[in-house]
Amino acid sequence: MKERRNFIDLIWWIVLIVWSLTILFPIVWDFYESLKTNPEFFQNVWALPDQLQWANYKKAWLNYHLLNAMLNTLYYVGASLLIGTFLTALNAYALTRIEFKGRKFIWGMIMLSLFLPGINALIPQYILMRDLHLTNSLTGLIVLNCLGESVFFLMLLGGFMRALPRELEESGTIDGASIFKMFIRIIMPLAMPGVVTVAIFKFIGLYNSFLEPFIYLSDSSKYTIGVNIYHANMLMQYTNDWVTLFAGVIITMIPSVLIFMFFQRWIMEGATLGSVKG
Amino acid sequence: MTTLRSDRDRNGQKRSSVLQKANVQKWIFLAFAVVPTFGGYLLFALYPNVLSIYYSLLDWNGITKPKFIYFENYVRLFKDHYVWRALGHNLFYMATVPICVILISLVLSYLLTNKGYKGTPVFKVLFFFPNVLSTVVVSLLWAFIYDGSFGLLNAFLKLFGIDMDGFYWLGDTRTALYAVLPPYVWAGVGLYIVIFMNAMTTIPKSLYESAILEGAGHMTRLFRITIPLITPLIRVSAIFLVLGTLKSLDLVLILTRGGPAGSTDVIGLYMFNMAFGEQVQNYGYASAIGMFLFVILVGAKLIVDKLLPDRGYEY
Repeated sequence: MKERRNFIDLIWWIVLIVWSLTILFPIVWDFYESLKTNPEFFQNVWALPDQLQWANYKKAWLNYHLLNAMLNTLYYVGASLLIGTFLTALNAYALTRIEFKGRKFIWGMIMLSLFLPGINALIPQYILMRDLHLTNSLTGLIVLNCLGESVFFLMLLGGFMRALPRELEESGTIDGASIFKMFIRIIMPLAMPGVVTVAIFKFIGLYNSFLEPFIYLSDSSKYTIGVNIYHANMLMQYTNDWVTLFAGVIITMIPSVLIFMFFQRWIMEGATLGSVKG
Repeated sequence: MTTLRSDRDRNGQKRSSVLQKANVQKWIFLAFAVVPTFGGYLLFALYPNVLSIYYSLLDWNGITKPKFIYFENYVRLFKDHYVWRALGHNLFYMATVPICVILISLVLSYLLTNKGYKGTPVFKVLFFFPNVLSTVVVSLLWAFIYDGSFGLLNAFLKLFGIDMDGFYWLGDTRTALYAVLPPYVWAGVGLYIVIFMNAMTTIPKSLYESAILEGAGHMTRLFRITIPLITPLIRVSAIFLVLGTLKSLDLVLILTRGGPAGSTDVIGLYMFNMAFGEQVQNYGYASAIGMFLFVILVGAKLIVDKLLPDRGYEY
C-alpha cells in the first residue's frame, strides 16, 4: 500500500539524514583534518586543508610503529581466527553429532558460562596466565583466545551441524571413510556458511579487542594496533601533534571498513542470527 | 552344525573387530575434538571464575605471600565511598543507555521498515557501521568531538553563537558523566536497528492495512501493533544492554580513565584500576569488587526480567 508523502514524512526523513550525519561526519571530519598541518588544524577546524598533507600518514605509520603493530595484530588475529574457528567447528561437530558418554554433561558445563559475566574472572585469569608464563606474549593471547570456549559460536555452529541430514555419516561409514575424513570432506563444506559467519565475527571481535591485549602485553614492541593507537593518544599531551594522530586513527579504521565492505551481508545477517538464539 | 556355528562366530568376530576399530577411531576423534577446547574452557574460563571467590578473601598484592583475611575485603567494600560512587554512575548508565538505544533503534527501524523512503538500504548499512568499529576508535572519535581547543562540538555551538571558550566536555566534573553517554548509544544502536528491522518485516502487512483502514496513524501503529508484537525481542535486547552496560569499562577507560576526579568512574573500572593500576595492586580487594559486580549483574537481570512483560502477543 503506497501512502502519500506529507510534511511529517519530510521531518522523519530529516531524522534519518541527521542520524546518518552523526555517523559519517565525525569520520569524514577526522579524515580531512588528518590532511592538514597542525597550525591549519588549530586555526579553524571547519576549513578544508590548503594542501593535502599525505605526509601525515607516513609520519603516523613511522612514528607510531604501525607496521610492527599491524604485523602483531595480523599474527594475533590470524592465528586465533584460524585455530579458534577450526577448534570450535570440531567441537560443535563432536558435541552435536557424535553419541558418547558424558556429552550432555560437557554441553551443560559449557552452557554454564552463559550465566557467568566473566568480569570477576579477569584477575584470576591474569594470575593463571602469569603462572603459565603466557603474559606479555602474543602467543599467550592466542592460546587464551583459542582455548577459552566461546559458547555463542559453539551454539551457532552446533545449530548448523544439527540441521545436516543424518544419512551423511551413514553413507560415509559404509564407504569406509574415517571420522576425520568425514568431518573435513563432508561436514565442513556443508557447514561453511556457519563457519564463515563465525570467522567474520571472530575477526571483528579480535581486531577490536582492547582490554585483553592492554592487560597482557607490556612491551610496546608487542602492542596490537588498538593498544598502540591508545598509547599514541596518551602521548598527545606532550607532543600536541594531533593531525598525525588523526591519520593514525584513520589507518586503524581501514581494516574494519574493508571487512565491513566485503562481508556486509554476512555481518548483518549474522547479527540477527545471534538475536534469534537470544 | 559345528561348521555353521564357527562360521557365524567368525563373522561375529569380524564384525566386532570392525566395530571396535570404529569405536577406537571415534574416541581418538573425540580426544582431538573435545579435550583441548573443553580442557581450555575448564582451565581458562571456569576455574578463574571459581578462583575469584577464593581470591576475594585474600589480602594479596600478587607478589608477597597471600594472607587469608575472611570477609575483610567485603567489609572494606561496604565502607568504601568510591565503590558506591562508581555504583551510582553504573546505575545512571544502566538506566539511560538501554532506554536511549532501544528507543532510537525502534523509531529508526520502524521508519526504515514501514516508510520505504529513498535510500533505505544505504541507511541500514550506514547505521550499522559504528558497530564494526573498535572501542578505541569510537572513543578517540568522540574525544575529538568533545575536545576543548579543536573539538567539533564547541565549533558547532560557535556556529550558533555559543562560545564555550575552550570548554573540555570530558574534563569537567559537571559534564563528563553525561558526555560519556552519547558514544555508548552511538556505538550500540546499529545492531538493534538490524535486529528490530528483521523482526518487523515478519509482521504481516494485513495487520497494518486493517489499522490504516480504521484510521490509525503511524504513532498508533508503532505503539499498538509493532512494539507489542516484538516485545520478546525488546526484552532480550534490554537484558543484553543492561548487563553489557554494567560490565563495560573499556569505553570509560579510554575516554576519561574514570576522571576527572572520579566523576565517571564505574565499578568495572574501579576493579580494573585496583588490580592493574599504576599505584596500587590489591588482587584480593579487586576480586571482592568483582564478586560484588557479579551479584549486581545477577540482581539486574532478575529486576529486568520482572519489570518487562514476559510474553508478547501472538498473531
